[in-house]
Parts: sequence; C-alpha cells; structure tokens
Amino acid sequence: MSTKEPTEADILRPINTLTKKYFILYGAAALGLVAFLIAWAYQLQQGLIVTGLGDWGSGGGSTWGLYIGAFIWWVGVAHGGIILSAAVRLLGMDRYMPIARLAEMTTIGGLSAAGFYILVHMGRPDRMVTSVIGHYHITVNNSPLVWDVTVITAYFVLSATYLGLTLRYDISRLRDDLPDMFEPVYKIMTIGYSEKEDQVIDRMVWWLAAAVIIMAPLLLHGGVIPWLFALLPAMPAWSGGIQGPMFLSIALMSAISGVMIISYAFRRAYDWDHIITDDIFRGLLLWLGFFTLLFLWFQLQANINGVFLGPTNSAVAAEAKMAHPLYQLAMGMAFLTLVYIFLQAIRPSLFSKKRALVASVAILSATLTEKILFVVEGFLHPTFDIYANTPGTYFPSAIEWLSLVGTAGLVALLFLNLSKLVPVVELHAIEHMRGDHGHSDDATEQEVEA
Amino acid sequence: MSTDDESFHPLGEEWEDELESMLDDTEYDSELGMKMAQDAMRVTEGELSEAEFHDRYHEEVMEEFGEDERPTKEAYEAAQEEAKGTAASMLEKFDGDGEETRRETMKKMGVGAAAVGMGAFGTAADGPEQSLAAEKGPRQETTEESDTQWGMTIDLDRCDGCLSCMTACSQENDLDQGVNWMYVMAWEDENHSGASDGGNTDTNSQFNRLSDYNMLVRPCQHCTDAPCEKVCPTTARHTRDKDGLVLTDYDVCIGCRYCQVACPYGVNYFQWDDPDVAYEDIDGLEDPEDPDEITHAEYEHGERWVDSRAPRGVMSKCTMCPSMQDGKQGEENVGTTACETACPPDAIQFGNVKDEASDPSQHREYPTKSRAVIDINANVPSPDVVDSNVSDGDSLEAAIEAIDSTEDADLDETTVAVAKAIEIQSRDTETDPGDEENNSILEQQQTVLEFVTALEEYVDLESESARETLDLDQVDDIGNAAQIRLEQYAGDPSSFQLLEDIGTNPNVTYLGTQPGPEAHQVEGPTKYEDVDLLDKRQEYLDKETVGHVDGVSL
Repeated sequence: MSTKEPTEADILRPINTLTKKYFILYGAAALGLVAFLIAWAYQLQQGLIVTGLGDWGSGGGSTWGLYIGAFIWWVGVAHGGIILSAAVRLLGMDRYMPIARLAEMTTIGGLSAAGFYILVHMGRPDRMVTSVIGHYHITVNNSPLVWDVTVITAYFVLSATYLGLTLRYDISRLRDDLPDMFEPVYKIMTIGYSEKEDQVIDRMVWWLAAAVIIMAPLLLHGGVIPWLFALLPAMPAWSGGIQGPMFLSIALMSAISGVMIISYAFRRAYDWDHIITDDIFRGLLLWLGFFTLLFLWFQLQANINGVFLGPTNSAVAAEAKMAHPLYQLAMGMAFLTLVYIFLQAIRPSLFSKKRALVASVAILSATLTEKILFVVEGFLHPTFDIYANTPGTYFPSAIEWLSLVGTAGLVALLFLNLSKLVPVVELHAIEHMRGDHGHSDDATEQEVEA
Repeated sequence: MSTDDESFHPLGEEWEDELESMLDDTEYDSELGMKMAQDAMRVTEGELSEAEFHDRYHEEVMEEFGEDERPTKEAYEAAQEEAKGTAASMLEKFDGDGEETRRETMKKMGVGAAAVGMGAFGTAADGPEQSLAAEKGPRQETTEESDTQWGMTIDLDRCDGCLSCMTACSQENDLDQGVNWMYVMAWEDENHSGASDGGNTDTNSQFNRLSDYNMLVRPCQHCTDAPCEKVCPTTARHTRDKDGLVLTDYDVCIGCRYCQVACPYGVNYFQWDDPDVAYEDIDGLEDPEDPDEITHAEYEHGERWVDSRAPRGVMSKCTMCPSMQDGKQGEENVGTTACETACPPDAIQFGNVKDEASDPSQHREYPTKSRAVIDINANVPSPDVVDSNVSDGDSLEAAIEAIDSTEDADLDETTVAVAKAIEIQSRDTETDPGDEENNSILEQQQTVLEFVTALEEYVDLESESARETLDLDQVDDIGNAAQIRLEQYAGDPSSFQLLEDIGTNPNVTYLGTQPGPEAHQVEGPTKYEDVDLLDKRQEYLDKETVGHVDGVSL
C-alpha cells in the first residue's frame, strides 16, 4: 500500500487538469453516442423494421431483443451501483469510501442509459407522455411495465438526491479550488449551505441508504424488474420465483464489475494508487466472487427445476437454454472468473489489477449475454409452441449493436463531464484515510488550513 | 376503486344500493331509474350519445313522468355550450320550473341518473364524489356486466383447411403480408397423426372430417381475463364494456409490445414498418363526412380508432370486426365476422356467447345436434311439400318415396331419422330462436322441427317399425336412441378452450380434437403461398433489417 497521504489536491486533480488523452476519450465517447443517435433517427424514420425483431408465433420472430436485454442490464448496473454505495454508508464499510461516489455516479449513468433504451425500444416514443402518464392512475394497478417505470423514476430521484446531498459538503469546502466558470452550478448545489447541516445530511443520507437497501431486493432488481417477465403466464423460460434473486445477483455482479473498471480508469489517469488502493480492488473482487457464486447457484436451481421431470413446457425451455452455445459461453466465463477469484483469495500473489480488470470485463460480458439471451429465450420456447415458425429467429441488427456503443458512450460522457465539475472521490474519504475523524472538528481545522 | 366491483357507478355498489333504496321510497319506477342511471354513466363516458340516451328512454319516461324534457339531438350543442356536464343539464331539464328541491328532483328522475347527477352537484359542494367521469377515466376492466359477449365456437372437425377465413380477414382489414390475425394450421402430435399416416380414429361419421388433417383455427381469443390488457402501460389495449371485444386503440398505443409478450396464444402482430395499404385507401373511408360510412378507420363511437390494420409503430390483432358488430357495415353484418362469412363449411360460429339461443352457444352446448341441424336443414322438405304428397295411412317408406319422387324435394331415410332425432333431442331445450342476431342454428332447427311435425301428421315416427326403419331402435329409451343416431351421423366432438389452465377465460370454444402440449404444426391441405398469404413474416421483416446476415440467429 502506498505511503503517500491523500490530499485535497489529489481529488481536485481531475477538475483542474485537461489532457490530450481526455479529449481523445471524450471524442471517442461522443462519436459513439452520436453514431447511435443517427442510427436511432434512421430507425424512427423507417420504423422498427430496421431491427432484427419480429412477431413471435406464426411470424417466426422475437418480440423483444437486445434493446430490452440491454435495458435490464443497465438497470442492473444502476441498481447494483447504488446498493454498493448504500452498503458503504449503512454498514460502515469505510474501506470502500473512495469509490462510493463513483458507484453513485454509475447509478445515474446506468439509469440514464436504461431510460434511453425505453425510448429507443418503443414504436411510438412520441406518445410516452400522453399515453403513459395520462392513464397512469389506471395502469399502475396492473401493468408491470408501469411499476417498472415508477420504481426506476423513484430510484433516479433517490440516487440523485443522495448524490446531491453528499456533494454539498465537498463543494462548500473545496469551492476556492473549483473552476470559476461553473460557479452558478456550485451556487445552486450549495444553496443555503451551513456547516450545521452536516450532521443532518449525514442522517438523511443514512436513511436514504437504508431505503435503498430495503427497496432494492424487495422492489427493484429483486422485484419489479424480474416481475416484468416472471409473472407472465405462458413463457416458461421466464417464470419462477428464482428470477428475483437471480436478477439481484446479476445486478450486483454487473455493478461491482462496472465500478471496478471505472475505478481502474480513474486511478490510472490521475495517479490515485494511494486513494483507490489495491486493497479496494481485492475486496471488490471478493464481493464479485461471492455474488457470482450466488448467481451460478441460482442458475443451477432454475435449470434443475426445468430439466429434471419438469412439466413439458418448462422442460423444453430449460433444455433449450442449457444447450445454447452462448449460454454455455456466458456461464463458462462467470465460472472461470469465480475460479480465478477463489484462487487469488487463497494465493494472494495471483492478484493483479489487470487481472481484476479482465475479470470485470468477463463478468459484464457474461451478464449482458445472459440478459439478452434470457429475453429472447422466452419467445423461442413459449408454452403454446405449436407454431411451425416457433422457435423463431433473431439476431440483433447493426443498429441494435450500435446502441450498446451509444449507451456506453453516454455513460462515459457522463463521467467525463462530472469529473470536470465535482470531485468523484468524496472529501470524507480522504479525511477518513488521513485519520481525521469527526466532521465538526476537522471542519474547523480545514478552515484554518485554507 | 375496486376492479372486481360490478357496480356501474364509480363510487361502488354501496353507493348504488343507498340510492336505490332512496328511489324505492318514491312512487316512481326504481328499475327504470337504475337502468337510466347505468346508461347515463355511459353517456358521461362517451359510450352513448345524449341523443341515443334520449331516444332509448323516451317512451318509458313519458309513461312514468308524463313529460320528457331531456336534451334532444337538436338541443345537444346548446347543452354542450352550457358546459355544465351531461348529468347536471339532464337534471335541470327534469327540474322543470326550478321549484323542486334537489332531493325531490333526484327522486323524481330516478336514482341512477341522480347518482350521476351527484357528481356534478358534488363538485360544487366539494363532496368526495367530485368529477366522477374524470376519476374513472378510460376503463381497464369491465365494471358493468353487459349481456353481450362476442365470441366464437369453432368446429375443428368441419375445418378443411382451405384458408378462406385468413384471406377474407386479410382483405377485410387490409393487412400486410404475414399479419395473420386469423391463422389456420394443421397439426400432429403423438396421439393424433396427420394426413400422411391416414386414419383418424376420433370420429366415426361421414359428416365431419372434411380433411384428414387435425386443424386448429386461431383468431384472437378475446379473453375475459386478457393478459394483454392487464399488462398494457397505456390502456390502449382495452375490453369494450358493451360487448367484451378486446381491442387496441391505435391512437394511444406506444408500441412497447408488452401485450404481444404477455399473450399466451401469439395472436398479436406489430406494425414494424409503414402498412402496405395507405390510410386513405382503407375500406369504408370513401365518404369521411358520413359517420355511417366510416366503417374501418377512425372508429369506435367516433373516438377511438380500433378497426382495420394498424398504423406504423403500434400493435394489431384480430378485432372480431367491431365495425360490423356496431352496425356500421349494415344491419345484415351485425353478429358476423369476415372470417365467419367466408368459411365454406360453416366451421366458425360467431355470436353472443352469453345468449343461450346464439349460434356459438348452441354449437357449444349441443354440438352433435347443431352439426346435424346445420347439415340437413337445407335438404329438409317444407311442410307444404309434405302435405301435398303424403296422405293418411301411408307407411313411412311410402311417405319418403312419395316426397323423394317429387321435383321439389329429395328425401331419404337418413334425413328423416336425423330430423326426428333432432326433434327428440330438442324437446328439453330452448327452441325459440328469438329476434337476436346469430341465431341461425335455432332458425334452421325450426325448419327441421316443422318438417317433423308435418310428417307426423300422417306417419307415426315412433312406432316400432318406424324406429326400426330409422335406425332409432338401438336402445329402448327413445332419447338415448336419438342421441346415438345423431352421434352416428354427426360425431360427438369434445369441446375445449385453448390453454384453459392459464386462466385467461377465452371466449372462443373449440369442438374437435385438442392439440396436446407437444403438438406441432405440419403442412396443411392448402399452402399459405397458394392463396397469396405469407406464413413466416420474419422472411419479409429480415429484408429490411440493417446488417442482416442470413441464417445467423441467437
């Protein structure tokens, strides 16, 4: 571990530097997003026929595909991100404080990407407001899709509030070192701030974190999102109570992997070896291993329930799923990552940050593959599979693939922009690492220092 | 608001009961009041025009109150301008000289209309029941029991797989290639082999089995508990209160396709690109100024567009021809669908499944008898022919011979036997066709019964020798013998609904062989492409997919 002392200057470095690499990265992310926006415009002009989707049943297609798969994947990343951050605050996992804000920002990014996918997926996105909000009071009683939009909105508000509240502390203290051109933004963010609120904010954030931890398994990725599928009566590939825990484990795997990749990037770019330490990566890797283990266990449960004397419809669906080469590939990647994590835990010399990065990419690819397959499998093996054209065919079109690039670009742009505006590592974290405990005390100290 | 509540009023059953008892205290007709109330609610929801409302109750109101000063068609626009809400203005008209108290007025006009009126009054009084209609909004669930539920009984044994229904549907609704709202398929499973193996053993009659294939005819099931409607995030997919049709509002649907995902039967077809038939070319839009001419586009009470092919980006499925059911395609088309009309062997029986006398009900409840009726009614001689050719004391054989030898009729023992068996079997059942639509089976049965009655004027069809001749002597009990005779003639199909265990409560009932869980579609007697239909729509959709590679699939 580094002996360097973390300083305010460290966490201000992203804001006050502007490098060529930053511009290249920014350009690449913007290019990805713009490329997809153009593709989407083409889709709006031509209709959804430009995708690889079709009608299940006699039509021989798949109603939903990559768009919905990627949507639930991004929602997973988002939900996992905020759970991670909430756990840090609620359970006192101080070790991970330096990445808590990155996890919160991942949530905002993930939710933005997911929300964007909802629009991209629609046949008539122009009617979202009139048709959905106009009948909300009726449809919220029935439609899982409306529950879904409701909780995602609630979640976005919760996460943004959470992030906004914790930023007030940092901005008010570091204001002198922040760029003047964003002054109006800082003014709005710290409106009415006084040091007396710190304790109140702490409590509020604690309660918000508690709400997140309670809501996540019950309502979000352990509830409403899997219910979109699991509650439908005649798609055996989706049904079953295991889908809640399954979705939650996938969310946490994806989020931990995502946060690891983002942390890796920031540490490398801004020499944060002493802030985002190896220790944090080791710890995250263990958590990743834990949730991957759970995930594989849930998969086993789901499959065994289908293939061993399952009713005809679920047997067909489970057998087809297990036989799919992409499913085997995804599960293989998850399993090998788990093996690596296990081995590096008993033999620490096997750890390296690069390997942790590879593990993260493998898990993210595995979960995305699983999500897309999961969505499509439902249509391929319905209970009523008498149709000659069922299972149908589906392969994402170039536009659908490009949407992954576009949304990744969107999230990258969010980080690139936010990192120039506010510290992505909490002031609390470095104070904590320096060993200054007790906010009220060190607040006075800092003022003297400043 | 409870969705299970079957009250018509948004404030629920209790409220209704309270008002009803209030009405009972008056000297006026409670039943009329409640009936008017129910329809008045429908007026507020735009399902019924004020003019129609006026017309419907004019006579009864005159009888009950001696006057009817409600807004008429002419007064409609003026009433609108007053902007006091339908119920309030209706109340005012009743209120006449304005001297009666509100309560008296309510009592006078009947509790139901009052229940509606309370909404308008409540707004001013800040009561809990303000803005009833707004609160209720477009409905998701059927809250009032209508006595009409359109549906079908489909006799799969009669289906010869000619695909006429599919092409008729496609033409009626201007559907794109591959959008097969009505879908007919042949199938096989372990217990039911197809044509190639020959010999189906399910039935033993000459009458059915028009093809050697096991057939399945799959329109939308118009489920009473439609999963597609439940999951819709917009209420675009809705069930019409008045007749239970499950329809899509093309102007509200956002194209999320969740209905297609939730439907266990796979009846939905999304409009992935611009439809082949332009909006202007949709049938029936020749004279957009004449509301009766608008049969297809811009439809349902002039407010919701639910008929014909969908525009781009929204979902479509079989509608069971709502413009026909609403009389917008002529009275003769009420109670029929394009597919039913087109079906050569009458395998599809469409109608009000809640009406015992309707074709689908008759066919469902008495499949054997109904089949026999449909089959022989055209061959049955009229009573006149019987009267002029048969004389007292003729033997059965002689009577048949006498009728058969005339130019007016063909008759054989089988027809007489089946007709007599129908008569015996219909003794304990409804025989009056009534004046509703879709009662052709009972009408045809009447023809058969008239013939039997005419013949029995001269010949005792229940004598021992007659029963022997007619093969009605297999068992002593004549009722059982008749049943056996009919089954010999028409088979005894079992009835089923598709995926009954899913809990959708479909309104399509099938007669014939139920496909097992492992049944799979096989090539049928008529190929889809031979009648210009596209089976696998994906072949068409893939052409427009950006970056499509043939043969690559997840």
